[in-house]
Amino acid sequence: MNLWQRITSWRPRSAQQLRDRDLERELRDHLELEAEQQRESGLSADEARYAASRAFGNTTRIKEDTREIWTWASLERLAQDLRYATRMLRRSPGFVAIAVLTLSLGIGANVAIFTVVNAVLLRPLPFPRPDRLVRVFDDLNGSGAKDIGMSVPEMQDLRDRANIFEQLTPIWPISAALVGGDYPDRIELLATSPEYFRLLGAQAALGRVYGPEDAVPGFSDAVVISEGLWRRQFGGDPSVIGKKILMDTDPYTIVGVMPRGFRHPGETVRNDVEMWSACGFTGAPFANPPVRAANLLPGVLGRLKPGLTLHEAQAKLDAFTAQLRLAYPNDYPAASRWSLRLESVQDHLTEKVRPTLIVLLAAVGFVLLIACVNIASLLLARSAARVRELAVRQALGASRGRLVGQLLTESALISLAGGLAAIAVLILMKNSLLALVPADLPRLSEVHFDLRIVAVAFLLSVFTGIFFGLAPAMQVSSLDPNRDLKEAGRTGGGSARHNRFRNTLVAAEIALSLVLLIAAGLLMRSFWDVLQTNPGIDPRNLTIAQIWMPAPNNPQASPYQKIPARSAFVREVLRRASLLPGVEQVAMGSLNSIPFVNGRAPRAFYFADSSDTARDGKTAELGSVSPDYFRVVKASLVRGRAFTDDDTDQKHRVAVVNEAFVQRYSTPSDPLGRLVRLGAGANDVQIVGIVANIPDDGLDVPASPHIYLSVFQSSGLDMTLYLRTASDPGALREAVVQAVHRVDPTLPVFGVRGMEDLLAASMVRRRFALFLMGTFAFLALLLVVIGIYGLMSYAVSQHTQEFGIRMALGAQGRDIVVLVLRPGLLLTLSGVLTGLAGAVAVTRLMSSLLFGVSPTDPLTFLAVPALLALVALVACYVPARRAVRVDPTVALRYE
Amino acid sequence: MTVPKEPSNRIELLQGTLDMLILRTLLFGRAHGHQIARHIQRTSNDVLQVEHGSLYPALHRLERKGWLTAKWESATNQRREFKYYRLTAAGKKHLAAQDSKWKQLAGAITRVMEPAGEN
Repeated sequence: MNLWQRITSWRPRSAQQLRDRDLERELRDHLELEAEQQRESGLSADEARYAASRAFGNTTRIKEDTREIWTWASLERLAQDLRYATRMLRRSPGFVAIAVLTLSLGIGANVAIFTVVNAVLLRPLPFPRPDRLVRVFDDLNGSGAKDIGMSVPEMQDLRDRANIFEQLTPIWPISAALVGGDYPDRIELLATSPEYFRLLGAQAALGRVYGPEDAVPGFSDAVVISEGLWRRQFGGDPSVIGKKILMDTDPYTIVGVMPRGFRHPGETVRNDVEMWSACGFTGAPFANPPVRAANLLPGVLGRLKPGLTLHEAQAKLDAFTAQLRLAYPNDYPAASRWSLRLESVQDHLTEKVRPTLIVLLAAVGFVLLIACVNIASLLLARSAARVRELAVRQALGASRGRLVGQLLTESALISLAGGLAAIAVLILMKNSLLALVPADLPRLSEVHFDLRIVAVAFLLSVFTGIFFGLAPAMQVSSLDPNRDLKEAGRTGGGSARHNRFRNTLVAAEIALSLVLLIAAGLLMRSFWDVLQTNPGIDPRNLTIAQIWMPAPNNPQASPYQKIPARSAFVREVLRRASLLPGVEQVAMGSLNSIPFVNGRAPRAFYFADSSDTARDGKTAELGSVSPDYFRVVKASLVRGRAFTDDDTDQKHRVAVVNEAFVQRYSTPSDPLGRLVRLGAGANDVQIVGIVANIPDDGLDVPASPHIYLSVFQSSGLDMTLYLRTASDPGALREAVVQAVHRVDPTLPVFGVRGMEDLLAASMVRRRFALFLMGTFAFLALLLVVIGIYGLMSYAVSQHTQEFGIRMALGAQGRDIVVLVLRPGLLLTLSGVLTGLAGAVAVTRLMSSLLFGVSPTDPLTFLAVPALLALVALVACYVPARRAVRVDPTVALRYE
Repeated sequence: MTVPKEPSNRIELLQGTLDMLILRTLLFGRAHGHQIARHIQRTSNDVLQVEHGSLYPALHRLERKGWLTAKWESATNQRREFKYYRLTAAGKKHLAAQDSKWKQLAGAITRVMEPAGEN
């Protein structure tokens, strides 16, 4: 901005200053001369000066009058240019329509993508000093395991002894069952330390936030709710402050409601945090004293001390972890190379979408560039016809600057019209455009259309106008009235150097669009490959429903804490669900048994029959499933056996692992029969079966190692009901909720969704990128066709006379076609070759968006240029046909 | 003659005639501001009162209209540089038009004021 201001203000001020100095000197000369003459007539020096200035009059007023003449002049000139430009443009409405349409597409697409990029990547998080907000991750560099979770003692060390953070808070997103609102509800709870709100610098809209005064070892009584939950469950009633509620059967008091726009800056279980709860993580339900080896905290959020950069903080942190490794050698074996990693909250929040957005922004920039080149080429064709006009005007005394200004005014008018059209369309289509954006895009709620965006559109228009206006304007500088008046007189415009420049532009356009087309082609190939990936399960006619069993702070208070009670509940729900109309098979599984949703929470484990320890960095997803789970989702058993109804708490604990587990941890030895220990003191589990990978995230994400336990042998509280139905089940949702509530009416049932919807949702980001890139590439292709066609038609019309002569001399139609096609194809070839080189350089940058294809996929790099060449051929051929149909007599009479 | 006449004996210029006088002066060749002022004063026998300063807005206006060009050049027999004004082709054309218009106007006024005129 600053630079821009300087650029805009620099020229006028300097011109004005020059003129002022000039005038100053001129007037001084005058006064001196007059004084000299007066002295010669006998006056004293003082008298002479006085007489001179009296004869002169009021110097200041004269200066002002003179200056005004020039100021007014530049304004008047602008008005004149504008008048003239409008007149010129009105004379060619077709050209203006095409140019404005092209530009509005280009500018509109850029502004739209920029709006998202600005909100998601560029704008700082809506907290005070967001640059000091960081996330801390535990990594085991020895095994390459990332983000394995932090233990409570580690968190306490960082908070109390590291001298790096001003505040530090664990962030623990969980589900909870809320009772005390309008209906039993499953909500998202975020357990944090009491410092959470102070760390973020956030205030409540109603009531208060919790703070250090609420610190207790376990969960504090005070909770803060979101504006959304306040409206949904409490009718937006201000008297909610002080209200007692039950969360997972424990009593809490609502002390505050957060403002509408407040969002937790991090991952959440599903949508958004709805309740915040202060926790010390050292009292029930947590172990006291806390165990250093238990990495139970899924995330930590910190605010760096003032003056510390991320880099310096990381260096201090490295020194600190080295101390800890020395102090606790048993917990941090040297081979595991445990370390802590800092990442800015903003980067972490947006790291998954950043590559997509950047690639899209680049793509959309290409589209605008192509649009510019296209219009520049059209303008050139027009200005070729205007060479005579310009030459005449120059011969009559118009300065080059004046002519350039005139041409730039025209292009600026066009581009401003394009920008205006783009803004209008964006405002009209705001909602449908936002609907295109994947709903899981971080900070989506911060995507707004505001005046800044209008300013960006305006600047973009101005720059675009100058950019594509430069090409014809540059021609003015090489204008030679003498030659051009003659040339123009003979051929009606279009000299050789003129055409060369235009050819270069069209070749550049071909090259740019080829890069876009190849990028789109690669994305399309990736998408196809993802679709072709065997999902490992059959998502058709499979519906899930989530159930949340309360987890009270005193575990004994839960009716489902004891495995027999829980097993009885599971069996009863399964029995009732299997009786529902249309339901063929049912199964139960925990949250991280749900495919495609990335509910990952890796747990550390080690093989009890080896010298491993928990800190060796072996992690796996831990799920518990009912015996029918694998059969219901149709995941194939590779070896061994699945669970049976007999795998109860009375028997040996058994586990089924997936193929990813086997590959990562159990080659070459046979995993069947091995004993797995899930933390110190836990009972060993024996691996009895291997099952094919069930994707836990999108199809394009490799499955992580999984350990499945029998639902009748584990104590997880998050239950998911799987229902395999005959066909599309109509009102399954109500029936499922009722079936569960017959067993226990206090349990929230939520997230009833079809597996195919989950699969589609996991691809939504890829679909979004493909859709936009495809649209941009198509636009680019369209522009190129217009560009080539325009160039060739123009060339044909320029050479009508020549064709006439050739045909009169006996040339065949085919000869003429070749004559026209050859330069067009040469042009295409050079454009394609340049584009290929560019694509090789550029597509590497988008490798993170690709799946199953290399950035230089040979098929794409052959097929796309071939397609482009074919399209170019057609665009050349149509004008060529017209050339053949030229009647020699007419052509020769022409002009 | 350098001592200005008494104000009562001097005549204010008619609106718009200053431009004409400047252009007429420059018909003989280049001149800088002071020369133009002096020339007008001298040739009118000091009757026409031209406030020297008022010359400059007029000069710049004429330059903007393209009737004059201005350039810093050294004086003929001095080492000093002055801003010299020159008449352009357009300026000459304009002067011709103004000249004939003025003659018509002057003639008409004379005929009205002195119906039994000598001419």
